[in-house]
Amino acid sequence: MRNKEIKGAPEIITPSAGDTSLPEPVMLGNGVPVYMAGNGTVDLLRIEFVIPAGQVLEEVHLAASATSAMLTEGTLHHDAATINDLIDSTGAALTHSSDKDTAGLVTVTLTRKLDDVMALASEVLFSPSFPENEFRMLTDRRLQAFQTSRRRTSVIAREAFYEALCGSRSPYGRITTEDDYRRLTTGDVREFHRKHYRPVNMYVTVAGSEPWKALPVLEKYFSGKGTGQWQKPPLPSPVLETSEPGKIFRDLPTSVQSTVRVGWKGITRNHPDYQALQVATMILGGYFGSRLMRTIREEKGYTYGIGAVAGAFHNIGYITIMTDVANAYRDETLSEIRKEIEKLRTEGVSEEEMTLVRNHMMGELARIFDGPFSVADAIRGIIDYETGADYYTRLAETVKTITPARIMDIFNRYFNPGEAWEIIAGSR
Amino acid sequence: MFILVSLTYFAYMIGFERQILDNGLRVIVHRDEGTPMVTTNILYDAGSRDEEPDSTGFAHLFEHLMFEGTQNIPLFDVPVMMAGGENNAFTNNDLTNYYITLPATNLETALWLESDRMRGLDLAEERLANQKSVVTEEFRQRYLNQPYGDLLLLLRPLAYRVHPYRWPAIGMDISHIEKADSISAKKFYDRFYTPSNAVLSVAGNVDPDRVFSLAEKWFGDIPSGVKTERKLPVEPEQAERRELTVHRPVHAPHLLMAFHMGSRESRDFYILDLLTDILAGCDSARFPAILVRKKELFSEADIYLSGEADPGLVIFSGRIRDGIDVRKAEEAVRSELDRLASERVIAAELDKARNRYESHRLMQYISVSNKAFSLAYHEVLGDADGINREHEQYMSVTAEEIASAAGLTFRPGNSSVIHYLPEKI
Repeated sequence: MRNKEIKGAPEIITPSAGDTSLPEPVMLGNGVPVYMAGNGTVDLLRIEFVIPAGQVLEEVHLAASATSAMLTEGTLHHDAATINDLIDSTGAALTHSSDKDTAGLVTVTLTRKLDDVMALASEVLFSPSFPENEFRMLTDRRLQAFQTSRRRTSVIAREAFYEALCGSRSPYGRITTEDDYRRLTTGDVREFHRKHYRPVNMYVTVAGSEPWKALPVLEKYFSGKGTGQWQKPPLPSPVLETSEPGKIFRDLPTSVQSTVRVGWKGITRNHPDYQALQVATMILGGYFGSRLMRTIREEKGYTYGIGAVAGAFHNIGYITIMTDVANAYRDETLSEIRKEIEKLRTEGVSEEEMTLVRNHMMGELARIFDGPFSVADAIRGIIDYETGADYYTRLAETVKTITPARIMDIFNRYFNPGEAWEIIAGSR
Repeated sequence: MFILVSLTYFAYMIGFERQILDNGLRVIVHRDEGTPMVTTNILYDAGSRDEEPDSTGFAHLFEHLMFEGTQNIPLFDVPVMMAGGENNAFTNNDLTNYYITLPATNLETALWLESDRMRGLDLAEERLANQKSVVTEEFRQRYLNQPYGDLLLLLRPLAYRVHPYRWPAIGMDISHIEKADSISAKKFYDRFYTPSNAVLSVAGNVDPDRVFSLAEKWFGDIPSGVKTERKLPVEPEQAERRELTVHRPVHAPHLLMAFHMGSRESRDFYILDLLTDILAGCDSARFPAILVRKKELFSEADIYLSGEADPGLVIFSGRIRDGIDVRKAEEAVRSELDRLASERVIAAELDKARNRYESHRLMQYISVSNKAFSLAYHEVLGDADGINREHEQYMSVTAEEIASAAGLTFRPGNSSVIHYLPEKI
């Protein structure tokens, strides 16, 4: 038999976030800011170019993501096959991304291959040729992936939420159709690139053991590009049409589960309540032992997982809870979510729960600032949304000092049941 | 050139110290002073291959129970969070792995927690019933409610006839999970969750001697149990091509082709791992270049190793373009695979795959949690230092070895093929 008695628990040292300050940028000759996060012993560099060229700036739907995906499909000097071969033979990775507000190109390279990789990065970013045949093939592949995604309840529920929050005419809430793929031309992509991919609009993050090694190489390939001095482009403010709160149902006849999404209009990142809202959402559904996980997974067993997040685009914030449940449990799930929120609005949280979440968030902050790659990601959030270099220091301060009374106030202010959208995507 | 190779070699070495406690618990420590964190990783040598054919999915269900608390610590997550940590676990066909990453100052809390759930679990019926329901929803969410989600569920019983790899870690069927009971849970725990059947690997900003003495303090008095001796049925050599056609509510057809290969420790593993990288590891690799771009038959075409400890599978997986016949698509894959045996891969392709392996390895081992798991994994395979021998294994693969492994592996008689087609409306 095993002896189940255990000696007294070791003393826990209260975690601290550590140093949450972010580096000041170094400017290239043309004023492009370079943010360096240096640490570690591994001889790799991750360099990210961030361009204000997200969907929010689209005049033709899908132009932003297509432009980003077409960058490596051919340049004025090389065709797609040669570009791929050049990247792959250095062992580097070159990944493009495009989201609602920005676009980016991430390169990861052995330090000794830096020059070759930057030469290529500069070429794909600023001299792409958008060849017709590659564009047609890419569009076909993207259309097929889109058609597959239409069978996912989670995708349909998310789309319904952003449409309700931002309006179908805004770039944040637009509904994509197959025709959008068929209508898009290389002319649209070329035009989007000409307008928005300009060296004087971008900034760069460099993460690795010796990030300063990248500076002369960046100077060589990016400083002479384009005309004029760098300037921070203004944040766009698309026109939004928020719909009335209420229930929304999307029918997917073959699905064996439903996605349940409950959402509210939130606040933008510079709002004085933003950090406190982060703590509140953590309590509600941000960790394994959160209110929603405890009730809906651990007590009821309705789902594999349920989470809540509060985030924001440039000029609108959102709060959302999401989970996938058996079709039979979806109404009970909604009613349990309502109950948990009601408890937080009326009974609040205990000092014990507060301490638990406090320590957890401090540990999370310490992990963000542990490695250079995650520090570079943190920098990106701060620059893109102009939240100020002290964003994480303020977050750490809020986490340390926030009271149960303030949390209850946040729930009463932002989680009003009458202002929620309750969305279900599943089979009738 | 030789000097360069040996210099870079040292960059890939992962140093560690190892001790075995009297009860058989293997303890491995890797010191990394570049981080304030530490990961404790505990690997149990028990996976879905250790299940009975009529109660599959049990090892994974049991992993869920390990988070349901003990008599001493009713809520496992609370101390982890209080200590500023994060934790999780996964189960595959071979093993079950648990890890906690937290500030190194709280190392002892993690060891206390892990030793407590190795000492005794609270296997109340109510908790079991609830986790059965959670796992059922996990099954639906990940395999049934996703387009193409059941591909691998279909493949395993087609490719394997006798070896327990014929079912996936999530289980063969939801009904197996529904009928699990607490008596079998207790048996499973007593048999597999013991010091002699586990490896504790700690990586981070810690002093190895302190870790060894803390391991002794918290784990030293747990009875050793019996080390898993497996007598698993050996999968007989496949004689004929197997084919399965299914219709599902998806938009585009999908082709899956699987071939039996050697075990994780065989030379075959390294040769075929590098070969699959040459075929589909990057955008300039053969499959994206030929099957996707040149011939325009597939919208995605990948090939990879299943990577199990016992002899595993090489799996081709490709989404076919609208209007292309599945047999025509299969024929094109076939012809690329045949070409590997008749023509040597060129030096540039091999170099590219080796370079990619190097970058990938460097990237992977930036994280202490990856280092901790990998050391534990190699230890359970036989020797933690295996982590340091892999580099040489990959670097020494030759074009001749690739041709001969391809010829042996990609025989039509060694293949299991799934034609996954859209339902006719």
